Amino acid sequence: MREKILYGAGLIAGLYLVRNLYQILLVLPDEVDQGAIYRILLFHVPAWITCFSAYFLAGAASVMYLIKKDMRYDTFSVASVEVGLAFTLIGLATGSIWARIIWGIWWTWDARLTWALITCIIYAGYLMLRHAVDDPTARAKNSAVLCIFSYASVIITYKSIDWWRTQHPGAVLSIRTGGGRMDPAMESILFQNAIALLLLAGVMVAVRMRQEDTQREVESLRRYAHAAV
Amino acid sequence: MRYLRQTLTIAAKDLRSEIRTKESLNAAISFAIVILVLFSFAVDPSSEQIKEMSGGLLWLVFAFAGALILNRSFAREQNNDCLDALVSSPIPGSALFLGKALANFVLLTVVEFVSMPIFGILYNMDWMRQPLWLAAVLLLATWGITVIGTMFSALTVNLRMRELMLPTLIYPMMIPALMAAMRLTTLLINGEGIPADDWIWVKLIVGFDIIFTSLAVTLVEIVLVG
Amino acid sequence: MDSRNFTYMFYGLAAAWLILSLYVLTLVSRERRLRRELDSVKRMLEDRERAAKA
Repeated sequence: MREKILYGAGLIAGLYLVRNLYQILLVLPDEVDQGAIYRILLFHVPAWITCFSAYFLAGAASVMYLIKKDMRYDTFSVASVEVGLAFTLIGLATGSIWARIIWGIWWTWDARLTWALITCIIYAGYLMLRHAVDDPTARAKNSAVLCIFSYASVIITYKSIDWWRTQHPGAVLSIRTGGGRMDPAMESILFQNAIALLLLAGVMVAVRMRQEDTQREVESLRRYAHAAV
Repeated sequence: MRYLRQTLTIAAKDLRSEIRTKESLNAAISFAIVILVLFSFAVDPSSEQIKEMSGGLLWLVFAFAGALILNRSFAREQNNDCLDALVSSPIPGSALFLGKALANFVLLTVVEFVSMPIFGILYNMDWMRQPLWLAAVLLLATWGITVIGTMFSALTVNLRMRELMLPTLIYPMMIPALMAAMRLTTLLINGEGIPADDWIWVKLIVGFDIIFTSLAVTLVEIVLVG
Repeated sequence: MDSRNFTYMFYGLAAAWLILSLYVLTLVSRERRLRRELDSVKRMLEDRERAAKA
């Protein structure tokens, strides 16, 4: 039953994304300054929203793990970080392609881009750390602490457009600027895409959590088998 | 007061054992000198270019040499289960951590104060033009680096491939402090003061120190004891 | 300029979908590998129990 709900939600998210894609490609007009390329941003920004939410929830779950010592929080954090990392890659790739047209270069070392890359490396380090620890409790404890530290980089990435003068555009969404920086029709699609991606990410996290449980079961059965010999 | 004494006891213990064996201090200093020499092949040491890069070069040296010191910090307690003894002693985990961080801080500062004149001689740099500000930046950024490093040293002490994992984890974490320190050190070595525009970097280092010190002090008990 | 603008928009959207599907593929393949591992470990334990009884 749970499985059906999960796949159903995944299907809905996928269909919603396709429907948004139709809107983006065929209904919305080109943007005045940027032309067709701005459509990438309607994926770029939602991908970062999803990834920041995933990292935030992973950090919160890590705090909860350290308080409650319940393995489910650890499972949630690793699933959330991994899915977040996938969306980080999407954000970096789409942003880079957009920059190639608008700025004429794939990459520039301004504060926003640099911090986004650092965040990506730090969370990849989190997954590496998990591989290096065998004992499940020690792994959960150490990676929870690392996850809390890592969240600092997410905050800096988010705020970097306010703290430094960046080549990366400043805030455009009306929730941060009070409106006027973006066409309402485009912004509405952007948020719909964000909802679709968040739903999709939720499904992925749930699937990944179940895999982590299976993984733990395999490990404990193996340990039992070795102990029984 | 008691807490402070406990912290200092741990720091003194670490420093004493380091002074007796000199194992990580020797390694770190010679490593720093080797990198300083190697770098002269990467850029023309007599050119003006080196002035622009001095801060970056120095902090890369300090960060690499620091990793050698930090790697040993908790690992040296593994022999004879010393770490278990320390954890079960009546000292709070945070005092243990602060003591070790303090010892690492002193060691890394020694490495820095040895490397600076060598850097000045090898690259013909008059680096003492703003000594007080430079010392302040060095100390602030070094504290930030050692806090992160000591925390992660505790975190990775039981890992497979510890020597490999520690640098991969700490360098990205240290970037805010390193970035600010590189920028400010370049400015100060070239004899300019800190322009109004660049005060954000000073704030960044101070903020980094405060945030990560408090985060580490709250979390280290969990890492050490569980 | 304009045609390149359009092509790169296509590349960007394709990249986003590509990474998403790659991640889904890794999820699926891991699912399969884990199922197989779980089955083999379970079978191993059952065999051993049977051997112990006999």
